Amino acid sequence: MFRLLKKDVILFLHDRRSVILTFLLPVILITLFAFAYGSIGNYDGRSEPVKLLVTDLDKTKISKEIVYKIDSLQDIITVVSDSLRSKELVIKGEYACALIIYKGFNDSLEYGNTMPVELVFDRSREMEISILQQNLISILMSATGEIMIKKNIEKYLNELFPDEENDFSDEIAGSVINNESNKQVIKWTPIVGIRNDTKLGLIQAVAGTAILMLLFSVAGVGTSILEEKENGTINRLLYSPLKGSTILYSKMLFAFFISILQLTAMFSFAWLILNMDMNVNIPALILMIIATSFAVSSLGICLAAVAKTRQQAQNLSTIIILVMSAIGGSMIPLFIMPPILQKIAILSINYWGIQGFYDIFWRVLPLEGILPKILILMCTGVVLTLASIQLFKKRIMKM
Amino acid sequence: MIEVRAVSKSFGNIKALENVSFDIEKGEIFGILGPNGAGKSTIVNILNTLVKPDMGDVIIDGFNIRNDDDSIKLIMGVVPQEIALYEELSAYENLMFWGGLYNIPKPELKKNINKTLEIVDLAGRKDDRIKTFSGGMKRRINIACSMLHNPKILVLDEPTAGVDPQNRNHIFEVIERLNYEGITIIYTTHYMEEAERFCDKISIIDVGHIIAQGTLKELRQISNVKDLLTIKLAAAESEIISRITSENPLFRYESASNSIKVECINIGKETSVIINQIQNAGAVIERIYTQGTNLESIYLKLTGKELRD
Repeated sequence: MFRLLKKDVILFLHDRRSVILTFLLPVILITLFAFAYGSIGNYDGRSEPVKLLVTDLDKTKISKEIVYKIDSLQDIITVVSDSLRSKELVIKGEYACALIIYKGFNDSLEYGNTMPVELVFDRSREMEISILQQNLISILMSATGEIMIKKNIEKYLNELFPDEENDFSDEIAGSVINNESNKQVIKWTPIVGIRNDTKLGLIQAVAGTAILMLLFSVAGVGTSILEEKENGTINRLLYSPLKGSTILYSKMLFAFFISILQLTAMFSFAWLILNMDMNVNIPALILMIIATSFAVSSLGICLAAVAKTRQQAQNLSTIIILVMSAIGGSMIPLFIMPPILQKIAILSINYWGIQGFYDIFWRVLPLEGILPKILILMCTGVVLTLASIQLFKKRIMKM
Repeated sequence: MIEVRAVSKSFGNIKALENVSFDIEKGEIFGILGPNGAGKSTIVNILNTLVKPDMGDVIIDGFNIRNDDDSIKLIMGVVPQEIALYEELSAYENLMFWGGLYNIPKPELKKNINKTLEIVDLAGRKDDRIKTFSGGMKRRINIACSMLHNPKILVLDEPTAGVDPQNRNHIFEVIERLNYEGITIIYTTHYMEEAERFCDKISIIDVGHIIAQGTLKELRQISNVKDLLTIKLAAAESEIISRITSENPLFRYESASNSIKVECINIGKETSVIINQIQNAGAVIERIYTQGTNLESIYLKLTGKELRD
């Protein structure tokens, strides 16, 4: 019994892949998920501050006071910008929301009219918006609510009893000042995720999962080069009039073709079965599928080029794909991750792919808005392809 | 047909081949015999232009391997040591794929495939997947895939490794038939009996050096190995034994086996004379053993070690 146990332990320890998958990979993923769910590195148990774009077009004493009060909150970091730029940054997904205090804010307050204050936001950033909701309402109410309500009551009473002196407006104002309906003091306007019927969760599920699975299938194609080397078919191909580079390029082309096919199949499935709204910028979608496929297939081939054996390639692929997918947003939506992980995420192909598909399906950006992500994916593909060619020339094609 | 002149090749600090030279005539079966790691596969890869020698020249049918890669690949077929086939494809699909790499017109390729399948005796299994084949059948398809472009030269790198005797004979028949059709064959092996069976010329290689080469007869002369006749006596009578050895100084007595051992130049002719001499001395013979000169003994004599798998 003990001998059998000892034998299994020795075999297990000799199998590096099993050891890595049993211990190292879970540790890496647990750490990443813990970061993502905010259990590590947060601010004494509080959420990290929300960045809020602020545009003060009124520039009066009261509006400046409101901006100052918001900025002094621990949970909010304000970034001053103009209204057009603010909306653009929210649409592009760089900020969750923007507060715009329009001209005439002070006058509206004086006359008891509806205040021209608007919060434009991205519907996908619910967590940040809910933090803002609590803080902004309380600040606006504390700064303006009493004046505004008193003015409104005075106005109402004067209209109702024009000939009488109304000195009980303060009393009435005090009783309504904390009313729930006061959150209407701000106009809440979603500007992202409104033009497309597809739910955010579906976009995340399709894009995130499709890229994750794509990485695995392309890694398999890459590994097949090493398999062919091991079973002698690569050598046999080299005995024929074919050039080594032709063999490599055909593998790359196959990986690229499979990637395009897989992504297209995933989105078609989402469209036909899961009712994903395909009323989007189709040329941008095609370009995004091509760019993502190119970057992912290049990575798959590069992983195989780095490894010396099929076993090594499989181990390397599993670790890199899972870690990259965890930080890149395939497993957990990026917007719920802490800022530090969101910064690291840009190192992964998943990030650029998923964000690109968000731009198409959620943010409904025009082609020029998506082009930077497409270019980054294409450049990543080119760099990885060049690296793969050099590595393959040295390792695989060498006899 | 093939001229190899003073070829040397190193991989890092390891000298794979050193000053190797040989000639192969058209229609010959040329055996390259040596243990694993001797340099056989390096020779094969040099002949196939995949590896360039550090020094020396190789001319194949008038083409130099240094600048006529493409022409050489077209006249040469290589049967790799591994079963380099796609297991999920059928025999026919494999043949179509490997033959297709040589840009043979489709009707001609189909004709070649059918002919080759007949030669390797697998026409009846052409639509079956390779993974369902036995080891020997895979080996035969492995050979077939290298013959589709009608090469003038066929290089077989250990084609019978791991094959059972019945399939081995089948492979031998295929090779003999191909040679009969005029194909020059280069055959690497570490099985002595294979080299002995059908190689016109044999090159014995060890640690990157050619130790000896020529026909079996020439190798026998070079190595000075003789046939051995062993006569086991019925009784160990010292008087008779000393009489035999004193009258015949080349007769050697081995007490452990109670045998007389005699090295012969031509064992067929000399055996009856030796038996008469022993019987005339009064000895009673219990059993007679003969051991002809073979590559095993030549290799042992030349290298001082046995050739093992």
